[in-house]
Amino acid sequence: MTIGLNAFLMVSGLLFSIGIFGVILRKNTLVIYMSLELMLNAVNLALVSFSRYNATMDGNIFVFFIITVAAAEVAVGLAIVVALYRRRQSVMVDEINALSR
Amino acid sequence: MTATQTLIALLLTPLVTATFIALFMRRLGAIASYFSVTASGLICIFSVLAIGHFDGSTIAVSWDWLRFGTFEVQIGFLFDSIAATMLTMVAFVGFLIHIFSLGYMQSDTAKARFFGGLSIFMFSMLGIILADNLIMIFVFWELVGFSSYMLIGHYLDTEEAKEASKKAFIVNRIGDLGFLVGIVYAYWHFGTVNLAQLEALVTAQPDLINATIAAFLMCGFIGKSAQFPLHVWLPDAMAGPTPVSALIHAATMVAAGVYFLIRIVFLFPVEVLDFISYLGATVAVYAGFCAYAQHDIKKILAYSTLSQLGYMAAAFGLGYPGVAFFHLITHAFFKALLFLGAGSVIHGCHHEQNIFKMGGLIKRMPVTSITFAIGLMALCGVYGMSGFYSKDAILIASGLTNTPIFVLLIIGAFLTAGYMGRLFWIAFLGTPNSEAASHAKESPLTLLLPLVILAMLSITGGLLQLWPDSLGGLIRYDVDHLHHAEQYDAMHYFVLKLGTAAWIIGLLAALFFYRVGASEDRLKKNFLPIFQFLHAKLWFDEIYNFYVANVQQRVARLLNFLDLLLIEGLLIRGSAGAISLLGMFARSIHVGNLHSYVYWFLAGMLLLWLACFGLF
Repeated sequence: MTIGLNAFLMVSGLLFSIGIFGVILRKNTLVIYMSLELMLNAVNLALVSFSRYNATMDGNIFVFFIITVAAAEVAVGLAIVVALYRRRQSVMVDEINALSR
Repeated sequence: MTATQTLIALLLTPLVTATFIALFMRRLGAIASYFSVTASGLICIFSVLAIGHFDGSTIAVSWDWLRFGTFEVQIGFLFDSIAATMLTMVAFVGFLIHIFSLGYMQSDTAKARFFGGLSIFMFSMLGIILADNLIMIFVFWELVGFSSYMLIGHYLDTEEAKEASKKAFIVNRIGDLGFLVGIVYAYWHFGTVNLAQLEALVTAQPDLINATIAAFLMCGFIGKSAQFPLHVWLPDAMAGPTPVSALIHAATMVAAGVYFLIRIVFLFPVEVLDFISYLGATVAVYAGFCAYAQHDIKKILAYSTLSQLGYMAAAFGLGYPGVAFFHLITHAFFKALLFLGAGSVIHGCHHEQNIFKMGGLIKRMPVTSITFAIGLMALCGVYGMSGFYSKDAILIASGLTNTPIFVLLIIGAFLTAGYMGRLFWIAFLGTPNSEAASHAKESPLTLLLPLVILAMLSITGGLLQLWPDSLGGLIRYDVDHLHHAEQYDAMHYFVLKLGTAAWIIGLLAALFFYRVGASEDRLKKNFLPIFQFLHAKLWFDEIYNFYVANVQQRVARLLNFLDLLLIEGLLIRGSAGAISLLGMFARSIHVGNLHSYVYWFLAGMLLLWLACFGLF
């Protein structure tokens, strides 16, 4: 048996929603960061599924780019989180509110 | 040096001097004074050089100064016979007055300011003389107004000087507003403000002459030359130091108004000329009467200046600009002499200016008194003096063309002799009437030298035969024109008799009425109502004060209220309020919480999505 496109898109949508709720609800910067990555991967999954379904390589190529960019982003983002922690001894977003003052 | 270079050097010398004094010599009064006097000497040399270059043909050069689209403002020189004559007079009289100031201001504490002011005045005045277009004249006209303001207010710790300088400045601005409107109108009407181009245009098409433009331009003359109804500033301007009164408020600046009229004489239609001549004749008589109620030696001379400016205006209006110019030049010599003489007297009497507290000065200050008497005779038109020739020409011109003006000017001549006689008999003859006068000493040489030179000029200045050939072209032309007029001979003898009668009767009447060396005013003592009437000067100051306090002040209050309500309240506060409301809203979005930004981000995405689907 083959699993249909709908199932893949369902999983992708679920992953995306988990990501969004993670970003909205969690307070820890690292967790928010992971949630963001989750959303990216949900999109990757959807793209790969479409690529397979349409029997073209467009989606796959796009995913390679996304993974590359995400890797670079993680390198920068994690560095920022580490720097933030060194400076403030905290990575909780409700304590990072200097702009509102 | 070429002619143009000479003129540039001439114009820039006093400016550079004034700048140097203002920047580096504020505290070095003595050096500043020599610097300024040297500059005025250089001006003299440069003007001699410039006149050496001048061979009767006009020198006209101009440069672009500003350019707005198709409208160009130029600066340039129009150096013709009129400018050359005026330049000679201003440079020479200015130099003598600078020398006089050296002695007169010896012990002043703010010499640098004074001499810097004199230099900036010379710069402005030379600018007016050389200017080749109306806008440039206006610029220097305003500079002259500024330097006059600065110098009238030289004794700035006295209330009188402060008030007088403000009054002179503000009253002049009223006239200048008309002048400015006239320039704009002239540009709109003729398409140019260049004097030479204007003249060519008007000569080619005489129907282009416009009475409104002429009347507006005349406003500038009325303000600067202190003609009715803006004459009120000149007598008060005597609060300045005496050399300033001599230089600015007698010899040069007030005459600049007349000079300006002569420069643009081709723009004047008959109606405006008639108006100017009646105006001048009226002022000549009015000022003559006012002089009788003054006891300050300088104020008497100030009213005399007003009166003589009236003569010039009358001659100009009668169509004899050359004759007016003639009187301008001779008047500059003898009025500068009279003012400097008065300055010497004031210097000798320890700043006593009341003629009833002087008396007997002829024994104590012989040179001053004799030169003063020469100036007085020139002013009264004693036969053979410079004033005689020019005044005689004015009277003949009016006698031949306009009888009412002739009558007024003759009355003016009688009045002139009367008040000058009053001044001379009371202040210089008899016995001293105060401590100051009895200790009066003859002034030092720096004060006397200019007096003597000006006295010689006051005697000989009227003999056109002695003038260099390149000078006074217009004067010779108009005087010749007058000589060849019909009935000239009859009128000449008539005026000669009347004029001579005027000064003899005027001086004798003053002698018998006031007596020599009087200590009190007999007019005031015996005819108080007449004195008070003359002292009130037709209540001009009172009327103006009433107008300012009750009419203008109320309009100003109303405007202030509207300003507060509409501009400040609605426009400024209103717009500021709107922006700060917007700011409050923007600030409320900016909470500093990462999660709320995520919501805003989502909302934005939603909006973008909706927009993409055309739901807006």
